[in-house]
Amino acid sequence: MKRLGNPIAFGVLVLAVIAAPFIFSNYRTYQLAFVGLYLVALLGLDILTGFTGQISLGHGAFMGIGAYTTTILVVDHGVRDIWTIPLGGVVAGIIGLAFGIPATRFAGPYLALATFAIPLAFIGILKRYPDFTGGNVGKNLPQLHSQLGWHTNPSIWFYVVCWVVALVMLPLAFVIVRGRFGRAMRSVRDSEIAAAANGVSTAGVKTLAFGISAFFCGVAGSLYAIGITYVNPDTFPIDLSILLLVGIVLGGAGSLYGMLFGALFVEFIRISWGPALLNLFSRVHHIDTHAPGSGLVVYGVVLLLVLYAAPAGAAGLARGLAGRPAFLRRKEDPSLSDPGLV
Amino acid sequence: MRKTFLLIVAALAVTAVVGATAGARPTATPGVTAKSILLEGTYPLSGPASGYAPIPVGMGAYFSYVNAKGGVNGRKINWHYEDDGYNPANTVQITHKFVEQDHAFALVGGLGTEPQLAVRQYLNDNKVPQLFVATGATTFDRDYVQYPWTIGWQPDYEAEGSIYGKYVVANMPNAKIGILYQNDSYGNDYLRGFKAGLRSHQSQIITAQPYDLSATTPPAVQMAKIKASGADTLVLFATPTPTIQAYVIGTKLGYKPANVITNSVSATDAFLTIAEKSGSDIVEGSLSVEYTLDPANPIYNKLAGMKLYRSIMAKYAPKANANDGLNLYGVAKAWNVVQLLTKLGKNPTRAGLMAAARKMTFSPGKKNANPFLLQGVSTFTKGSFQYPITQVKLVKYVNHVFQPQGKLFAGRGALR
Repeated sequence: MKRLGNPIAFGVLVLAVIAAPFIFSNYRTYQLAFVGLYLVALLGLDILTGFTGQISLGHGAFMGIGAYTTTILVVDHGVRDIWTIPLGGVVAGIIGLAFGIPATRFAGPYLALATFAIPLAFIGILKRYPDFTGGNVGKNLPQLHSQLGWHTNPSIWFYVVCWVVALVMLPLAFVIVRGRFGRAMRSVRDSEIAAAANGVSTAGVKTLAFGISAFFCGVAGSLYAIGITYVNPDTFPIDLSILLLVGIVLGGAGSLYGMLFGALFVEFIRISWGPALLNLFSRVHHIDTHAPGSGLVVYGVVLLLVLYAAPAGAAGLARGLAGRPAFLRRKEDPSLSDPGLV
Repeated sequence: MRKTFLLIVAALAVTAVVGATAGARPTATPGVTAKSILLEGTYPLSGPASGYAPIPVGMGAYFSYVNAKGGVNGRKINWHYEDDGYNPANTVQITHKFVEQDHAFALVGGLGTEPQLAVRQYLNDNKVPQLFVATGATTFDRDYVQYPWTIGWQPDYEAEGSIYGKYVVANMPNAKIGILYQNDSYGNDYLRGFKAGLRSHQSQIITAQPYDLSATTPPAVQMAKIKASGADTLVLFATPTPTIQAYVIGTKLGYKPANVITNSVSATDAFLTIAEKSGSDIVEGSLSVEYTLDPANPIYNKLAGMKLYRSIMAKYAPKANANDGLNLYGVAKAWNVVQLLTKLGKNPTRAGLMAAARKMTFSPGKKNANPFLLQGVSTFTKGSFQYPITQVKLVKYVNHVFQPQGKLFAGRGALR
């Protein structure tokens, strides 16, 4: 039971997920659905980066692979969209494993550079085979429509799908990082030499972690295609890969619940907070907030402020708060303050 | 464990703050109050297409001008636009916000073929006008039966291509043509139109070289092949950056075509000046087409439309570069939007707006032509004819300015 994560924490999260559509507007619910799918993607990337210590600048492309798998199956083969979600994950996972075999022989920043090639190649391949992928023009999926049999708003339907998947993938991530394989991953992260000396196949662990993270991102990508109802190469720019990495850093790499924050950030900074901050700036000061690129400046400032206030991300901040006040501290069980315990 | 709880509680708090900003209540007609009409649109203010950012600024300047005169039938136009970075995923999410959260009356001038394709079905399902999209892809005009809530505005790419074809037939019947085109819907629309315009003269095309926008290298190999083919007329159906590169590479290869035709998207004074400054000597004499007034050319300065444009920009967008034609494009489009809204009278509806857009006549004959378009250009839709602007004038780049040549050409879709 413990391996599935804290049951009470999980219960609180489930209740919050159930309550949210009753509290928020349909559009906010639509956005929170994206938070759910980004959570899945970030969990995957966290397994690779936070737990295995391998930085990837290319996982947006694995979302893209999942999204295109769903799109091609739904549009060209008439498969029902929700059945394509695991398939998107499997296809991305297999490609991730295949890429992981050569790539994870690189260490540290060299791996990051190698992974940078994935989104570049992915976009090139999409454009090279337009009959299969739709090329630049892309493909339209069917619009969101409720499939629950009762009169639900399509946004709520999409929210339900995303969060059911996310609430399956979260315990799955706990199983992965808390088992024997999880210990092997952390040993590779902390010292490859020590890990190898203890009989851990470092290349094997890294490759498998790469495949698992690609699987998570592929699942998220399938959901993404269903929610956006459109894919083309511009939908999976290199920025997306970097945004995912920013998401796990802000959430706190190596913490799974911290990814909730990362997911909130990834969704809301682009669509809601960025423009709201720009509005605020334009009221306070005579800044041309509609000038090209001013949104990126706000984004950068927010990022710096957050990292200044919480260098270990939201999880680190929570750890600090939990540690300090005496009435919150548990004296009898020192292992609970072990950061490796997630 | 404490940490996990804190994380979840804090995540919930963030979510609550995020959600607290609830949208305005929908009224009888969404986006219309007793005093205002809400219009919204998505534009690339960041990313590779951010060069188009002046367009919504020009639109905003014109709406401010109209508001200062009392608005439209007593209502002020509330113009709001957001950055989608030319990423259709952002366009979709922001468009959902415009429709479901902001309750916009109409989405106006959304920019980009692919971003607008991504939201077309959604807007049609929700019966929200997708008015005057900023793209020349033919589908937005042609497929009005399937998408009754969507309409384009500017001349479509196929039509423009066909006009070049007709020009070649009439004026260069012996030209040997080499084409560089972008290998996507944009470049292929132009190429299809060009061939249609050439009709029986298609054999004049001796080579057509595609390039990929995602390619990391400039189209050097393609230009070398065009030069080697012996083509004396270079046709560029390319977006701005590859166009500039093609000009520069052509010069470096020692290629001296007698004529160069450049599609209007890339043929602005700003872009061609960059090509010249980068060392190209084949820019001079380039042919293209225009349909709006060109603020970079002083010959238009005495026209009433240009005077009005300059006064609006000076007062309502003083920081913008008024000599950039993209601002004028925005002003011209906003003029058209205001004309439609005015017609709707006291009780505007979305259906009424589309009906007005489907039956427009703004022409010199009726003395109500768009003052920001070239003299003689009409804006016309009726029945099965849903291509608002179809007339263009050939222009030639001489001394850093495009000079108009001869009379107006008309085209609609490719195949006539």
